[in-house]
Amino acid sequence: MWLLTDLAEAFRNRSRYGTLVGMNARNVALVRAYNRREDYLFADDKILCKSLLEQGGVAVPPTIATGEGLRDIPRLLGLLRGRSNFVVKPASGSGGDGIVVVGEADEGGWQTAKGRFMDEAELGRHLAEIVFGAFSNDLEDRILIEERIVPHALFAEFFSGGVSDIRIILLEGAPLMGMVRIPTLASGGRANLHQGGIGVAMDLATGVTFRAVSGGESVLRHPETGGALIGRQLPHWEQTMEVARLAAASVPLGYVGVDIVVDAVRGPLVLELNARPGLEIQNINGRGLRAALAGAGKEVA
Amino acid sequence: MPDAPNKANTKQKSWGVGWLIAVLLLLPLLSAGYKVGVLHYALTDALPDDEYSVTVSMRLDGRGERAKVRTFLPVEDSRQKVMTLTPASSAAFRFSESNERDNRVGNWLGTEVSDGTKLGYTAVVRLLGQRFELGPDIEVPKEHAKGLAKYLAAEEAVQSDNAEIVALMKQVQGDRGGARERIQRMFDTVQKLKFRPFSGTTDALTALRLGEASCNGKSRLLVAMMRASGIPARLVGGVVLESGKKRTSHQWVEAFAGGHWVPFDATNRHFAELPANYLVLYRGDETLFRHTSDTNFDYGFEIVRRQVPAERTLTTFPAFNVWALFDRLGLPFTLLQTVLMLPLGALVVVLFRNVIGVPTFGTFLPALIAAAAGETGLFWGIVAVTVVMLGVVAMRAALNRFGLLMSPTLAILLACVVFMMLGTAMVAEHLGLQELTRLAYFPIAVMAIASERFYLIVSEGSTKKAFKHLAGTLLVVAACHLVMNSIAMQVLVSGFPEFLLWAIAANVYLGRWVGVRVVELMRFKAVAAGAGGSHVAAH
Repeated sequence: MWLLTDLAEAFRNRSRYGTLVGMNARNVALVRAYNRREDYLFADDKILCKSLLEQGGVAVPPTIATGEGLRDIPRLLGLLRGRSNFVVKPASGSGGDGIVVVGEADEGGWQTAKGRFMDEAELGRHLAEIVFGAFSNDLEDRILIEERIVPHALFAEFFSGGVSDIRIILLEGAPLMGMVRIPTLASGGRANLHQGGIGVAMDLATGVTFRAVSGGESVLRHPETGGALIGRQLPHWEQTMEVARLAAASVPLGYVGVDIVVDAVRGPLVLELNARPGLEIQNINGRGLRAALAGAGKEVA
Repeated sequence: MPDAPNKANTKQKSWGVGWLIAVLLLLPLLSAGYKVGVLHYALTDALPDDEYSVTVSMRLDGRGERAKVRTFLPVEDSRQKVMTLTPASSAAFRFSESNERDNRVGNWLGTEVSDGTKLGYTAVVRLLGQRFELGPDIEVPKEHAKGLAKYLAAEEAVQSDNAEIVALMKQVQGDRGGARERIQRMFDTVQKLKFRPFSGTTDALTALRLGEASCNGKSRLLVAMMRASGIPARLVGGVVLESGKKRTSHQWVEAFAGGHWVPFDATNRHFAELPANYLVLYRGDETLFRHTSDTNFDYGFEIVRRQVPAERTLTTFPAFNVWALFDRLGLPFTLLQTVLMLPLGALVVVLFRNVIGVPTFGTFLPALIAAAAGETGLFWGIVAVTVVMLGVVAMRAALNRFGLLMSPTLAILLACVVFMMLGTAMVAEHLGLQELTRLAYFPIAVMAIASERFYLIVSEGSTKKAFKHLAGTLLVVAACHLVMNSIAMQVLVSGFPEFLLWAIAANVYLGRWVGVRVVELMRFKAVAAGAGGSHVAAH
């Protein structure tokens, strides 16, 4: 019965849904209208994306190595042997699948960020899975190895067991909406909202947070760490927005989500781009994307 | 940097879309109008006929001795067409066919017949329904042609000369007025007798005295009363055809009135009419099966109904005649129906995905599963998919520890799906679960692709999401099944396939539709209710 009463309520509020962008509108009026399908690659392939970002002068995490094919794996393992603090990523993975964050080097292997020992054979097997496309829905994929980021103190305060990131959505260079995604223990240290991460909305002009949502409920504090989430000034905000604009301008995508981490030393770095950013950001901000589009002087179908 | 396509571009495209939709809507109307107006198509001509495959199986214990079995074969007449008749028997038997009076008889003669010997025949038949208008002016003549004498005479179990039967006939005024009035009164009397599903033979007098009877008792009493009233009448025996297995045969009556043998079934209340699923096997007071007396004997009927294009269909649709094509290629009619309905199934999937927001395994799969379930029935189709998906989860749990790469795992998955389908069918047969054995009919390609989709979601670590997609898929399968199996839709689309362009028009429209999905009404209800309003205002 709750379904029916909810539907009835939704129907009463139907005019207010006009401020929202649904999946159909996103696909037709934003993604399809502003991004060409053949250009998705510039966001979906992390290695390709990174090279475009570097050309555009966007700050990115330093690359240790990239790899292609099974034959490359011994070379990569040799390169990583004894090395600490790096991140292994599939170039075409999505949703954080296949990403391994490595901490200190240890006898014959490494400690992962999740506090587990991983020997060389296991890392080699993981690299092989990446190459075989296990995380990319494709037959093959490439490997990207980057230096591990040390989050800025504010983000470490939000949650220390994983990396928080900032997502800014832009249309033709105009920032529309943003949020910080903070991992939780429940989300397994991942910042993905649908896996239990917390979304925190910020005012794009000032970088001050004003609303936080955890599991569909509005919250004031991190439910696990108790850290205050509202009214916080995000660090290096002007620089963060500049990096987002620069990143969006570096790729031929009109509608784009830019994911940024703020490194303790290097400041804002672009982690990756998304050619089809999701819609949950509207629930985090308590505001529809159409309203934001109107605010930015953009009008879409 | 290449410029992103701009909005003006989008607007232009949607202008073209309007025209495309208009053309797609108009073309079928023009084409259908031409066919109806000029070529004189009628939708009713596209209605398919039913064809029945009737298997009569008999089993006997011959104890190594000589054995003889006989039963009736379906006769061919104006309402009953026998397409093929294939006798089946073991090598110990010799089959022969003979005509006895009005009937066609199959004889099996065997020597050294072992126990549990099976024999019988399969007939493929097409039947027509029959309805007679008995005018009130049809008299019952005092004298009948000589050939009809045997249909007026008393028989051992049809005691038309018995005083009690004659008295009952007179009591209900079975001897007054025209043929129609008389028959109506006697029919009503017999029809009111209590029905008793009794398998033995009941003679007319016993049925009268007991006041209750099964179909053969009622029919004998009706024949006896008709004969007593001076109307020639005879018993008819056969089978009421319904898909499935049965042991029950049926008896009804024919009376000679107005120059025709007119059917009456007092048990199932058919007055001067016969439904299109009554198969006539014999006429007269006969026993359906006769066999050497000292053998252990059993029998059964298995009936499969399928739809075939009516013969008028093959001849009346000269333009784009897909039936005739399938007929020439020797492809089954059901395949044509499925193929023609697939675009509609896909449209249903699109409605569920883009308008409601139900997650499914891709766009084609629910429609394909629904088509596949046409063979097994919707319920068993859903059971089949669910069983195999649960097997996939179990397999994933078993293989996970080995850390195998994806492609080899998927190859193992396919093998497991094959084993699961065949294994389930075998176990089901062993347990006598006839319905579940149909799992083996389920197209392996459809099942394999569904399994792969399901597995990929499970292996992303999201079993919950996989089951959500499965539930969504099965819901949409049910909806597709309803639409794709609707006779109205099938007739429309098979007679006028051009209306499939409407489905394309609907998809073009939906392809540009930017409305909020039903599930998104829920998802964003807080935003729509103004959740973040005050905060935004504060900044």
